[in-house]
Amino acid sequence: MTEAAILTQGLTKRFGALRAVDDFDLRVPEGSVVSLLGPNGAGKTTTVRMLATLIAPDGGRAWVAGHDVVRDAARVRERISLTGQFAALDKNLTARENLVLMARLRGRTSRAAREVADRLIDRFDVGRFRDRLVKQMSGGERRRVDLAASLIDRPQVLVLDEPTTGLDPRSRQVVWGTIRELVGEGVTLLLTTQYLEEADALADRVVLIDRGREVAAGSPAQLKAQVGEQRVDVIAADAVEFERLRGLLGQHFAITPLEEVRTVSVAAPEEAADLERVARAVRAGGIAVDEIALRRPTLDDAFLALTGHAPLSDPPSPDDEPEPILETREAA
Amino acid sequence: MTSGSVTPARFGGPPRSGRPARFVRHTALLTGRSLRAIPRVPERLLDVTIQPIVFILLFLYVFGSAIHVHGISYKDYLFPGIIGQSLAFGVISTGTATSADMTEGVIDRFRSMPISRLSIINGEVMGQVCEQVLGLVITAGFGLALGWSPQLTLAHAIELAVLLALGMVAFTWCGVLVGLLVRSPDAVQGMGFIIILPLTFMAGTFVPIAGMDAIPRAIADWDPISALVATVRSLTQGVPTGGSWQLAHPELAMIGWCVLLMAVCVPLALRRLHRTVAA
Repeated sequence: MTEAAILTQGLTKRFGALRAVDDFDLRVPEGSVVSLLGPNGAGKTTTVRMLATLIAPDGGRAWVAGHDVVRDAARVRERISLTGQFAALDKNLTARENLVLMARLRGRTSRAAREVADRLIDRFDVGRFRDRLVKQMSGGERRRVDLAASLIDRPQVLVLDEPTTGLDPRSRQVVWGTIRELVGEGVTLLLTTQYLEEADALADRVVLIDRGREVAAGSPAQLKAQVGEQRVDVIAADAVEFERLRGLLGQHFAITPLEEVRTVSVAAPEEAADLERVARAVRAGGIAVDEIALRRPTLDDAFLALTGHAPLSDPPSPDDEPEPILETREAA
Repeated sequence: MTSGSVTPARFGGPPRSGRPARFVRHTALLTGRSLRAIPRVPERLLDVTIQPIVFILLFLYVFGSAIHVHGISYKDYLFPGIIGQSLAFGVISTGTATSADMTEGVIDRFRSMPISRLSIINGEVMGQVCEQVLGLVITAGFGLALGWSPQLTLAHAIELAVLLALGMVAFTWCGVLVGLLVRSPDAVQGMGFIIILPLTFMAGTFVPIAGMDAIPRAIADWDPISALVATVRSLTQGVPTGGSWQLAHPELAMIGWCVLLMAVCVPLALRRLHRTVAA
């Protein structure tokens, strides 16, 4: 039907009056990594749940590996693997028991299931807590087991819904490393995230989504070119120092003064090198400052740069509720 | 982490056996999953173990002295009632467990895997039935230790076992449906205490239906739990129960109720879990 691993046309899902996903078109070519980037409530989770056959669309169509998610749901389920925001594991089983169970449910003999579980345990560095109950694990540990469980049968299409939300920086690095390896092996990946840097780090193509609609799309490089580079923010100790700071830095750098927060924001195309230059200038000028920090552009910066306004999606909405079952919400 | 492909690059996974075989296999695996939770969440067993024991002690030694049932010792009258009540309480415990399970991400994982949805619920039902069998054994053992003397022929014992198994499965399916429909485990508990608890009291569990006021008697005459209690009582004590048609023919009535409950609950529960997709 199509060579795209994922294709949606006019995909729509309503929850009462809310159009969680609104006439959404998406194309994920085979072997590519596409990131859906948007705030809470933008419709990211609803979109991926429709693709994984967990909820049915109200309008439009979607295909995974050429199979319609409604008419051919069974075929889609054999090809897609979704790792949701909330670990999809049995919390009363250990990491290893979960992996063995999932492998057996996918048709392996008990011996083959144990083998594949042990290989995944090695690969995802789960060995240290393989016999701990899931309910006693940290968020980062669960996420790793969860990812491992998604890869028992190597899926044709892997969907990761906010894989690093709520993780500490170290666990995030581990998850990123794993995702990069998978991508290196040629898995098609659809990734949702609220973090600009995550989309930038992992995706070939980024789709900005707000209120269930695409608002902008492009490669991370295009996106970065439009959003702008990193900045150094210097916060002055008081109003007098702020004026001195503005005068001093204005002579040497391209600055944006933000008077209300006593901050002078300096464009930093060379990142750490610019941070050093600014810090040196401030010290040489003898100006009292509270903080000098290198800041990455955020999701809000991206929306501002690409759409001219802040994200419209306003939580609370179905995407933020911590319960993963959507049809109970429909009853509301 | 080691690199390299973890799994064969075959997408559909290993070759698959036929549909019924897969269904049985998936159900067995998912039942095993439910059973493994028992020793890890032992408080879940309180419903089926401690609760009947509390009712036995209360009614035998607190209220019992004031209750006189014609032609039978109160001990022998009470234990069949407790067994019937425990089965009915299965609706609450199953509903609570199902509702809690549905808020867990793992059910999403199962639903997005190539597993039949009937086997997902069936695993849940079988796990609950096993818990209840365990509870039943404990309750009956406790009863025998306290001097309950059931008069069972072998034929009656087999009939009783079959009917109890049928009753457990039917009430458990009913609980699964409740758990799928009601949002929170707490709400299931609350509803259980408002609806199921009074029904079990009206079912001739602790006092004869004949002596009740008109309205509770009318309910008890046609309450499925009454049929259950009357069945257990007539098979274990050989006490004929009179009253409405269903109380005069408890075994038939109970089979009828179980079939009706399953005929309603199984398709509705499946539809509930299913309705997300048209396939």
